[in-house]
Amino acid sequence: MSTLSGEGYSVEFHDSDECVAISGTLRLGGLSEYAPLMDLLIQAMQQCRTLTLDLRELEFLNSSGIAALSKFVIRARDHDGCHLVIRGSSAVPWQGKSLNNLKRLMPSLELHFE
Amino acid sequence: MSTASARIGSLTFRQAAVTVVVVLLFGLLGGLIELATEWRSIRQQVPEQTRSTLELVRGPATTAAYQLNETLGAEVADGLFADRRFHVITLRDNFGTTIAERERAQAPEPGPLVRYLFSDITDYRIDLVRAGVIPERDQQVGELTVQLDETEIAAGFLDRGIVVVLVGLARALGIAVLVVIIFYFMITRPLLRLHGAIGRIDPANPGQWQAPRLRLHDNDELGQVTHRLQGLMGAFQRVLEQRDQVQHENARMGAELDVSRRIQHIVLPSNDELAAIQGLQIAAFMEPADEVGGDYYDILRHADGVRIAIGDVTGHGLESGVVMLMIQSAVRTLVAHGEQDMTRVMTVLNATIYNNVERMGSGKNLTLALADYRPIRDAGESDARGHLRITGQHESVIVVRADGGMERIDTDALGFPIGLVEDVAEFMAETELTLQAEDVVVLYTDGITEAADPRHRLYGEARLMDCIHTHRRGSADAIKQAVVDDVRGHIDTQTLYDDLTLVVLKQG
Repeated sequence: MSTLSGEGYSVEFHDSDECVAISGTLRLGGLSEYAPLMDLLIQAMQQCRTLTLDLRELEFLNSSGIAALSKFVIRARDHDGCHLVIRGSSAVPWQGKSLNNLKRLMPSLELHFE
Repeated sequence: MSTASARIGSLTFRQAAVTVVVVLLFGLLGGLIELATEWRSIRQQVPEQTRSTLELVRGPATTAAYQLNETLGAEVADGLFADRRFHVITLRDNFGTTIAERERAQAPEPGPLVRYLFSDITDYRIDLVRAGVIPERDQQVGELTVQLDETEIAAGFLDRGIVVVLVGLARALGIAVLVVIIFYFMITRPLLRLHGAIGRIDPANPGQWQAPRLRLHDNDELGQVTHRLQGLMGAFQRVLEQRDQVQHENARMGAELDVSRRIQHIVLPSNDELAAIQGLQIAAFMEPADEVGGDYYDILRHADGVRIAIGDVTGHGLESGVVMLMIQSAVRTLVAHGEQDMTRVMTVLNATIYNNVERMGSGKNLTLALADYRPIRDAGESDARGHLRITGQHESVIVVRADGGMERIDTDALGFPIGLVEDVAEFMAETELTLQAEDVVVLYTDGITEAADPRHRLYGEARLMDCIHTHRRGSADAIKQAVVDDVRGHIDTQTLYDDLTLVVLKQG
């Protein structure tokens, strides 16, 4: 299990159930500050046949974070051999439009709202 | 410094005064106890001594009384009278006749205190009895009475009292002086030095303060006070520096906000430009949030009609303002270039913004909707007056028809956030509308629908649609003003968290 955490957020990769859970409020400054998270996601994607991104507890993601997540989804789209699942929450305002846009970037992405 | 030394001086003086008073009180109390003990012992000793003296002369006195021998009586009286304490001596026979009598002439009158203390132990009398063969034959032959001089009895006692008071006073003064000297060297002098050093603290630069080195006080409370003060001054210095930094940062951010606000307004279309457009009434409104956001709108005339743009750059501040300025230039460039294909327009805009935002490394992107209006000059049988093509992912577009019918155009499927990914061509689509006279089209940013009231309830799309519907018969400007007033009424005293932007089109 690898983890990342900082003020107000935490990222946990459980390789046993092939799931990256991101929770809290992520408002890092600029794309460069999202690089460690990107590295973790790409590494997870390369390890797993099916990778689940659990964002249900991610209450806020700033625009740099949404940009980073979009870039990751494009990487996942161009990378064969990993099925991507994103679990979101319809109770979290930012997720509705943004996660649907991710789905449009990668039609094979499985998107579940709870 | 004068007040400082006055304060220290008064401290020393008070300390000395309190010490004197306390030691005096205790000395006096001790002296009083001593004198009381002395008094009790005098009152015990004097009667005992007097009685034993009288016992010594009992024999000759009895003989003198029995024989009525005045010579012997005088001897007895004189013998007793040699003791200065005896004031009056009287020897009488049993018929009351005086055999011998002595009284000291120039005896001073005793004071009231002396009389109070000793007047009850001055008078003594012994019966002179001549012993018979058996006790029943004893015969009283006279009596010897003496009176002691109170002043003589008290003389030693009063001297002792004066000594006790004087010694007490001297002791009190001595102890006070000693205490003051010891305290001066142990506490007052280092305090004075600390006090002087504190007076030299520079309020603007407390961290530079050098605490005085108090010799022999390194490990006591004074040493700790000094040490803590030094620490406190360091802390003050850090707080002052932080304050300066925050002030500097606030000033910088204030300047940046001013610049952002100017950037946002500097390229907005003027009312004259809007009024010059024929056939379509256009009214627009923008109010920046307290922390300027990245709202954008533009109305650009071109050969065939008008292009309306509305967008919202993510985030706040200068960078959002710069991205907004870029999108404004790019949209205008493409209008000037005469590009009609909306998908190509959007693709070029996205590539421009994406590559610039990559350089900025900020991850900014924006929602952007473009509406291209063309008047219909010859509609034949139809009432159609204008044609509107809408593209780009943004908030919904609200259409209220002249007859009150309402349409809400969801733009989510018409585009993609601009600047988020490299190529958006595949996500672009457009929708078309035909406008008849008095039809109203409203574009807005989420600042309007997400405007919160003091209880954090959002204004909402439904209320916006109701408001437009209610005022649809007014001019574009009147509808705009009605919505702005309604939103402002809703916000009330709440902070404006996001920019408010509203564009109202009304087909003439």
